[in-house]
Amino acid sequence: MNALESDAPLIVYVDIKSPYAFAAIRPTLALEKSLGMRFDWRPLTLDIPSYLGSARKKEGKVVESTRSTSQWSWVKYAYRDARRYAERQGLMLKGTEKIWDSSIPNIGILWVMQTARDRLGDYFEAVYPPFWRRELDIEDMAVVEACLQKAGIDSSGFAEFALGEGRAEHDKLQPQLHPSGIYGVPTYVIDGTILFGREHLPYVRWHLQGREGPAPDIAYEIDDHKAQPC
Amino acid sequence: MLILYIDFKSAASYLALEPTLELAQESEITIDWRPFSVRPFSVPVEQDEETVGERHRRVRAAAQRDVHLHYAAVQGRNMHFADTPAGSDAALAALAVIEGDPVPFIRAAFAAYWSKQADLADEAVVEILLRSVGIDRPDWQKAKAEMASIRSKAEESGIFEAPSYLIADQLFLGREHLPWIRSLIAAEQGD
Repeated sequence: MNALESDAPLIVYVDIKSPYAFAAIRPTLALEKSLGMRFDWRPLTLDIPSYLGSARKKEGKVVESTRSTSQWSWVKYAYRDARRYAERQGLMLKGTEKIWDSSIPNIGILWVMQTARDRLGDYFEAVYPPFWRRELDIEDMAVVEACLQKAGIDSSGFAEFALGEGRAEHDKLQPQLHPSGIYGVPTYVIDGTILFGREHLPYVRWHLQGREGPAPDIAYEIDDHKAQPC
Repeated sequence: MLILYIDFKSAASYLALEPTLELAQESEITIDWRPFSVRPFSVPVEQDEETVGERHRRVRAAAQRDVHLHYAAVQGRNMHFADTPAGSDAALAALAVIEGDPVPFIRAAFAAYWSKQADLADEAVVEILLRSVGIDRPDWQKAKAEMASIRSKAEESGIFEAPSYLIADQLFLGREHLPWIRSLIAAEQGD
């Protein structure tokens, strides 16, 4: 899998533990559905401590932190911002108490893409909202298997895939991302152009619809009717 | 009233200018323009041995620059990132004390910075810009004190970047929020 190449019209990189990806899932699925296209969804498992410092909370209080004041300002704002947009979609977003290893549910994206493509939206619905309500231990294989089953996806063989072929595919993709210019989620790759953030969805839509008329500027769309669960 | 914090050396502030003015015109809302100096933007040079964090910051900065250039083209705007970015504090201090409509000065300052790499930290450069839009030179001491005061209050409000919009007790960072800001203005106006 090449980080920038796909047979699909658009590559979408997401991570289960990203609040910005969480807020982008339904609008991006809605775009895919409205265009009648199939995007190439892929995992990008963020290494958050490497660029935003690390922190651990207990009962809402920070008990460990290597973050600077400006890093905390960014993180706090990012959560507030993602939360208000999630709430517009009827979703709850609680700040996480630690930085999770999201690789297992992210490998789950690869599994669904290979075995049950039409149920990808159901998988995201089974994982993202409960994780952001702090109801899922996404580091537990059995929990991710249960999410697959809840989404109507056969999970037999997933554990083996997540430890073997899927893990290898995931781990092979991650080191390609920085050298390709990809650093965060959601990232949209469209004809080699890399766009980070769901504010680019108006541009992505315009491009995929044939680039008619003037190109749109960036904007977070707030038409909630277009972002219902799929 | 829409409060908007900008910095002339912020590419995102520059690209927010005209879309925000369009919003203000269509909704007939007043903008309270306030200066907020941010860190100069630069793309780190690739090192032989980078940490993951260093590489992340370099890739992110390069991507941000490319996206700004992408949307500058979409807006039909000339934009050039200097290798060594100039400052903007004198222009921001002037903005802090302008009486009347600051928009002609704001437009002139942004254009000078992003197309001619003008040094907006130089009071003489800023005075020429002010004269070009019919504004007298400010009392620089008073202007700097006012800018410092605005910054202090801004930080108390949680501002840490530009462009930052404050409306209806909500803070929005970036022009991508204009659809929501538009809806808040409409709600305030009782539409």
